[in-house]
This record gives sequence, structure tokens and C-alpha cells, in this order.
Amino acid sequence: MSVGFISSGVGGVDATRTPLFGRPTKQSPQHVDRLSFRTRAAVDEGFVAEKEKSFYDLLGISEKGTLSDIKQAYREMARRFHPDVSPPERADEYTKRFILVQEAYETLSDPGRRSDYDRRLAKGLHFAFSPRRFDQGLDRSEWKSCWQNQVEGLRRRSMDKAAGENMSWAARMRRKREGFSEE
Amino acid sequence: MEKQEYTVVSDSETSEDKHLSPFPDSAIGIDIGTSQCSIAFWNGSHVELLKNTRNQKLIRSYVIFKDEIPSGGISEDIAHNEQEIFSGSAIFNMKRLIGRTDTDPVVHRSKALPFLVQTLDIGARPFIAALVNNVWRSTTPEEVLAVFLVELKAMAEDRLKRPIRNAVLTIPVSFSRFQQTRIERACAMAGLHVFRLMPEPTAVALLYAQQQQQSIHDNMGSGSEKVALIFNMGAGYCDVAITATAGGVSQIKALLGSTVGGEDMLQNVMRHLVPNFDLCANRGMPEIKAMGFLRIAAQDAIHKLSSQTSVPINIDLGNGTKVSRTLERLEFENMNSEIFDKCKALVMQCMHDAKVTPKDVNDVIFVGGCSNIPKIRDSVLELCKRNNHYEGMNPLEAAVCGAALEGAVASGISDPSGSLDLLTIQATPLSLGIRVNGNLFVPIIHRNTAIPARKDVLFTTSQDDQTEALIIVYEGEGEKVEENHLLGYFKISGIPPGPKGTAEISVCMDIDASNVLRVLAGALYPGKQQAVSPFIEVRMPMVDDGHGWCAEALVKMYGSTIDLATIPKKA
Repeated sequence: MSVGFISSGVGGVDATRTPLFGRPTKQSPQHVDRLSFRTRAAVDEGFVAEKEKSFYDLLGISEKGTLSDIKQAYREMARRFHPDVSPPERADEYTKRFILVQEAYETLSDPGRRSDYDRRLAKGLHFAFSPRRFDQGLDRSEWKSCWQNQVEGLRRRSMDKAAGENMSWAARMRRKREGFSEE
Repeated sequence: MEKQEYTVVSDSETSEDKHLSPFPDSAIGIDIGTSQCSIAFWNGSHVELLKNTRNQKLIRSYVIFKDEIPSGGISEDIAHNEQEIFSGSAIFNMKRLIGRTDTDPVVHRSKALPFLVQTLDIGARPFIAALVNNVWRSTTPEEVLAVFLVELKAMAEDRLKRPIRNAVLTIPVSFSRFQQTRIERACAMAGLHVFRLMPEPTAVALLYAQQQQQSIHDNMGSGSEKVALIFNMGAGYCDVAITATAGGVSQIKALLGSTVGGEDMLQNVMRHLVPNFDLCANRGMPEIKAMGFLRIAAQDAIHKLSSQTSVPINIDLGNGTKVSRTLERLEFENMNSEIFDKCKALVMQCMHDAKVTPKDVNDVIFVGGCSNIPKIRDSVLELCKRNNHYEGMNPLEAAVCGAALEGAVASGISDPSGSLDLLTIQATPLSLGIRVNGNLFVPIIHRNTAIPARKDVLFTTSQDDQTEALIIVYEGEGEKVEENHLLGYFKISGIPPGPKGTAEISVCMDIDASNVLRVLAGALYPGKQQAVSPFIEVRMPMVDDGHGWCAEALVKMYGSTIDLATIPKKA
């Protein structure tokens, strides 16, 4: 997938270029705010395709992209999809896009997570990110992999404790004072 | 509403004219400091600070109560003098008191202020009062802040010749979401709509992003990513942030805040100068007066010790106590060593959270009055392994300038020169999670997660045949829920009965671009990713004052009968 980006990126430029998104009228940001999750799910239609793309596709870079390519692509995507700069009537859709882009960036910019991801990608199991998994009907194996990721996440979290992450600030400081510090 | 809808078609045409010249819709930036306040706006080409009638850009934040009419003295020709402000009739430091309960250590430390701060230690809001005609008249931090904001708003309207409605306000990093609602309430009382609340160092980060962008235009910068560490310390709070900036995009890598500030150092100096003087004692007029003199002398000494190594102190407290001595900088540094250690710890932790090492940091930015203290500067620079700091911004004006920039950007104003072609990707300063496995706090959205964000986690039941579960939402970093801020609670029911640990309960947290938090939870058919009944969606925070009691009441009423549990690990 090649994603062109708008160099001037900010504000109304996009709004004048793109047709209004499915809705006849512009809504105030406050109104969009109050949309329930259910309504948002409806807005999701046509967006599902995004989820099937790999993180590389989402950022519009090749799988050989360097860290600086990833960072640059992320910033370009943020300029395009961050809700602060997206047209108000598409804020909801763009917010979702931004969250996907963010996830892609966070995974690919961390060498450890990137190599994990690359391994999964090679096996064709890369749909780890799916914010609406329960009502989008993923198949059983995918669901299992999602679930396993979560368990893995929890396990990682408890392991991280030993490494000093995710502990309360005070606990970390106490530990530091006790001489536990590799840095 | 109807009317709005069919004017939309021509919106793109008209909004252009509307946004030219006077920028009627542009949100202004306000930095409410613990001791000083400032207000700035985008004037079409750059950010400009507004001045009060006394030609000051930095306005002392206090409200003085005299004869039933409270006043912030913003538009008065003659300023109230320090002795008047410390006479008990003025309330200040509202930013330190707002949204805190009477069990909060910060509130306890505030009892050394000249006005009345009374605590009953029951988890309710503290009683705050100003001395008016020899009677303590009660007020609230929100009310005081609102009175002050009304005057600030009137001043801005007078200067800009237009009504002001939208404002971007800066807040300390450590502010809880509950405290943020109190700021919003004070603004609403003053007729201001909070366009955005920005953690102070992130406002500074935006200004830095603009300056970097500018230097590329001027062919001075390289255009590559620059990492800055922002150290912000004022009278009430100390914040650290790490930002990565390139191409006008400021990405907040990590944020950390604490409630240590100049006020704590000031009280240490006061105690050091008159060791047997109980700052928090029940007091009459002579004690308040004596304390006022002491406070002024201590304040003055701290300021002078930033540029000289010792300062002579000669004060008569008027109650028979006289202090005549020299205060050495070293003495000052020793009595505040705990505070300085805390500052260093914040910087180290923030670098760790952002996964940066000193060699990754391109610039160290100092903002806030207390970042001028030599010991603090030296230790922060030492941690960052640098000899000098970034000189490109005024440490007392950077936050408000950043807020005004954000106000202009978020109001959709674009600038032909590209100087508003900016974006901040904010991060959550505190983790958000729920109570699980008894009184343990399990984060769902971790701190320093980019906003907007959406995360969900599955939980299970803690009892056999449990059909209901309490979702109790907290914010903070403590491992136990009691160490964190309660944001709200609700119950989900209709969980299919079964042995404990088999049910599946999905809890999802969503923070949108305006930083609104919603929690969505419900039971799923185990293994089927299908909802049993409609999910419940709650906007947080939903608790009001006295929220400490809510959590206690919940525990007392339900015990562990409808607790959630983490999903047990399976092989």
C-alpha cells in the first residue's frame, strides 16, 4: 500500500479535498464526542480493511525500513490522522486510524518487539491489534492469539516488575536506593 | 442545532474570512501558577503576553477578601503589598489545594499558609477560610480560582476588544483527572470554556517544536529529530518531560510530576530561621503578622541565594522574636536536600521511562521560578551530562506561550509562514486501571501511552457462580488501590454462572483526543467473544468530593463477593 501524505497536513486542507464522510452534515466536536461506542461501531464499517494491513502497510514503509524511516513515516501519518488536525467530521474515523498507526509505530520502533512481530508476520499471524474484537467476529484461532497476547502481556508485566518497570514510583525509588540499578 | 446544520455547506468559504485578522475564535492561553499567573494569545504572527494595568506580564495569583467583595487586584492601579497578602485575608496557592481531600499531605503542608486551612482527616474537602473583619469567612479553592479568572478574563477582553470564551490552561503533570474537573468547574464559574488542559511541560514542548521548526526555516537547524528534557519547577509542583521533536511534531515520550515546589523550600527556610515557631498552630492576629514577616524574609532570601552565596537576614517578627544572622547557600541546600534528591529522582525516572540516555538528549530546558536555583540546575545538568542548558526561551513565559500556540492550533488557525504547522502528541501522565484480586490496582492504560488511546483487557470472576462484578476505576501508580485516585465505579451483571475463573469480562478504556476518558465493560460468553448483554459505558471521573468514602462504602457493602480477578495463566 502506498500512502500519499499531505505536506501541509494541518486543518482544513483535507476537508476540502475529501468528500464528507457518509454523513450529510458537519457535527460539532462535542457532538462527535458523545457518540456511543455502538454508533462508533457503525462508523467502523469500511474501516475493517485497515486492520488487515500489516504495521508496515499502515505506516506505508517497506519491511526493510530503518528506524528513521519508521519515525518519519509515523510523524507523517500523525500529521494526517491525529484528531487535532483532522477535519471535525472525520475525527472519529481518524482517531481510530491514529491509534492503529501509533500501535504500528510503537511495535516497529522497538527492536525487540519488531523482531517478534516480523516472526509472526512471516507466519501470517500478524492481526494482533484489534480494538473491537468481540463484535467483529474474528475466527477462533485469531481470537486465541489475541487472548494469548493478553496473557503474555500480563506475564510480561509481572516479569517487568523485577526489572523495575510498572512498579510504583516509590517502590522503584526504594529499590534504586537499595543499590538495584544497572544503569 | 438545525440552523447550524445547513450553514455547514458554505463553512469552508466563510471560516477563512472569519479566521483572518482579529482571530475571533482563537482560544487564549492561561498559565495559572501557584504563585504567578499569565495570559497570552496568538496575534496573527506570534504569541503575545497580556499585561495588567500595572504593566506586568506575570500577575500574582491571589484573591483578597475585604468587606464581602473578593478581589484579585488584577486591574487595580496599586498592588496589594506582601504584608497585606500574608495578613490572612488573602487566599493563594489555590493550585495546590484544588481538588484535594483533607487527608492529602499537600493540604497538611498548606496549613502553614497565613489563611485558614482546616483538616478533619476524614477524606472530605478541607475547610478553607479568609480573615474578613476578624472573622474567618469560608470559601473554596474553586471559588477563589473563579474570582481570579473572572478578573483575568475581563482584563483580556479589555485588551483584545473581543469577548473571550475559549481557553487552553496549563496544569501540573501530577494533577488527577478529578482535579482537572475542579479546574474546569472554576473556569465554568468564570464563564470560560476549557478548550484543553495541557500539562505544563507539554506546552513548553510545543513552543520548543515551533522554535526548532523556525530554525529549519532559517537554515540553522538540521531537520533531524531532537530530544529535549524539560524541567519545570514552580512554587507548587515539579514536572519533568521528555519530548522528541521533528518537523513541527512534538511527541511526548514521558511525563512525570510531583508535588514538591518552592513553597516547601520556603517553609523549610522559615522553620530553619525560627526553629521553635509552630507554623501550623492555631493563631491570632499577632502570630499571623509575625508569620507574614517571616515569610517575606524567607522568600527574599531564597531569591537572593540564587545569585549570591550568602544573604544577611534582619527581621523583627513583632512578637518579641528577632532574627539577625546570615544564611549561607550551603545551609539552604542542606535543609532542602530531600527536595533536591526528589528532583533528581524525577529526572532519572523520566529518562528511564522515555528510554533515553543522557547522550540522546539534545537540549535541557529549564522553566519555572525554582529552576533558577543553582543547586537544582547543576544537578539536572549533571544527570544529563551537559554543561549548559537551552537558552531559547523565557523560563517564566514558556508555558503560557505554548498554551497560546496550542489554542491557536486547536482553534484551526493556520499561518501562511507555517509557524502554526504544529502538532503535539500528548501522553497520559498517570496509569488508568481497575481494582482486581482484592485491593490490587491493575493498569489498563499505562502511563506515557500516547493519546488518543484505546485498550482492553479481559478479566474473570473471583467466586464460583458469580453473576455480578464491580468495576472500580482508579488512576495512579500505586500497586494497591488505596494509593491511587478513585475515578468512579459501576456494576456489571448477567455474568453466566460457572466456576470461578471461567467467566470472561472485558474492560475497555478509551481516551479521545480531548482527553475524555470512557470505560466500557461487560460480560462475554466464554471463548465466544460475544457480549452476553449490552455493555456499560461510563464517562470518568464520575465521583464528586468525598470520594474516599465511596471506596470505603463499596468495600464495606460488598466485600469480595463481586470482585474481579486477573485471568489465571494457562499452560
